[in-house]
Amino acid sequence: MADKEPVVDRPEDEEEASAAAAAAGGEEEDTGAQVAPIVRLEEVAVTTGEEDEDVLLDMKAKLYRFDKEGNQWKERGTGTVKLLKHKENGKVRLVMRQAKTLKICANHLVASTTKMQEHAGSDKSCVWHAADFADGELKEEMFAIRFGSVENCKKFKDLVEEISESLAKTEGKETEEDSSAAGLLEKLSVTEKKSEEVATKEESTEAVKETDTKSAATSE
Amino acid sequence: MSRAQALPDPAAVGYPSFKLILVGDGGTGKTTFVKRHITGEFEKRYEPTIGVEVRPLDFHTSRGKVRFCCWDTAGQEKFGGLRDGYYIHGHCAIIMFDVTSRLTYKNVPTWHKDICRVCDNIPIVLCGNKVDMKNRQVKAKMVTFHRKKNLQYYEISAKSNYNFEKPFLYLARKLTGDMNLRFVEELALLPADVTIDLIAQQKIETEIAAAAAMPLPDEDEDGLMD
Repeated sequence: MADKEPVVDRPEDEEEASAAAAAAGGEEEDTGAQVAPIVRLEEVAVTTGEEDEDVLLDMKAKLYRFDKEGNQWKERGTGTVKLLKHKENGKVRLVMRQAKTLKICANHLVASTTKMQEHAGSDKSCVWHAADFADGELKEEMFAIRFGSVENCKKFKDLVEEISESLAKTEGKETEEDSSAAGLLEKLSVTEKKSEEVATKEESTEAVKETDTKSAATSE
Repeated sequence: MSRAQALPDPAAVGYPSFKLILVGDGGTGKTTFVKRHITGEFEKRYEPTIGVEVRPLDFHTSRGKVRFCCWDTAGQEKFGGLRDGYYIHGHCAIIMFDVTSRLTYKNVPTWHKDICRVCDNIPIVLCGNKVDMKNRQVKAKMVTFHRKKNLQYYEISAKSNYNFEKPFLYLARKLTGDMNLRFVEELALLPADVTIDLIAQQKIETEIAAAAAMPLPDEDEDGLMD
């Protein structure tokens, strides 16, 4: 009787030790059945789509989208948010990926109209509108993002606003150039008017000549 | 061999698609778990699933894109529907119980028996959900069923996302035969340019102001980030 008890205890200890060892090693124990794979897939090269971009910002955050139907914020994902600047065209976009699964939560350009607004209830959060391309098609969304600290939130907000203000200035200059062009068009219009005036004068002159001719005839 | 034949036509989506059967007692968090993956949201409200709800769940892996067709079944007996019919041609399964409820763990053997009656030798993951909760009733040490029946076991939390990717990663590895398979970044396409006219912009500003006043869910919990 007494001898049996230690024997019973040992298997449990071994199991726990084994599990603990597996956990310690970071590798998990596979207690599942041996099953034959049902598909054969070749390894593929990973293309993130970010290869031609420089990383301006990379932070952990939690993203929400506003559900208009339910009039409430809903979680979109927890993971990493990045601001990426294209090396060739200079455009900046925001890409956020879910932790672990690495799925895309948000993917949109930072536009001149992108405005970061503080969230009423939290100084670690801000709110904005975007035309989101996360699902491969443009979709109007209102996003909120929450950071682990006020400092990180400020960093993000300030950088986005700096970028959108820079874009607004660039677009403003283009508008001024358009105004100059309009001015030139106006000058062309004035020139046309002068041409018309000259033509009118010529007609008047001819009319006067005709009158003179008639007068001469009458005198004779 | 027969299971390979059962594999749905990959041409339908252009990449492998697996039927995943999701079972477990009502209220254990099956639907919330799937929704967490699909939309990212955490559904607090409990609405019993009736019969079955099939939702596609895609992942990008080091061996390409794969899809799990999640057959999220009713946990409550009265909403069970054609239970066995939902299991036919299942390639893998998840059995979920709630660690705050002993009864849901006690019923795991019944769910397992039901699946094995229809599906022979498929990879199965046992999940103990709600490990974020304080009033835990089923301790990790008490969970032993998986060792007896050759299931894989993960403690998860659909609320905190703890281990929430592990069940799918394990199943993807088993089904492909690559135990080093990993989830990789989805391709982020460059977004198209957008022009917003002034009228639309004013409307947006009004909506943003209103939304900024609405509270964020779980606003008091900051533990999820460093």
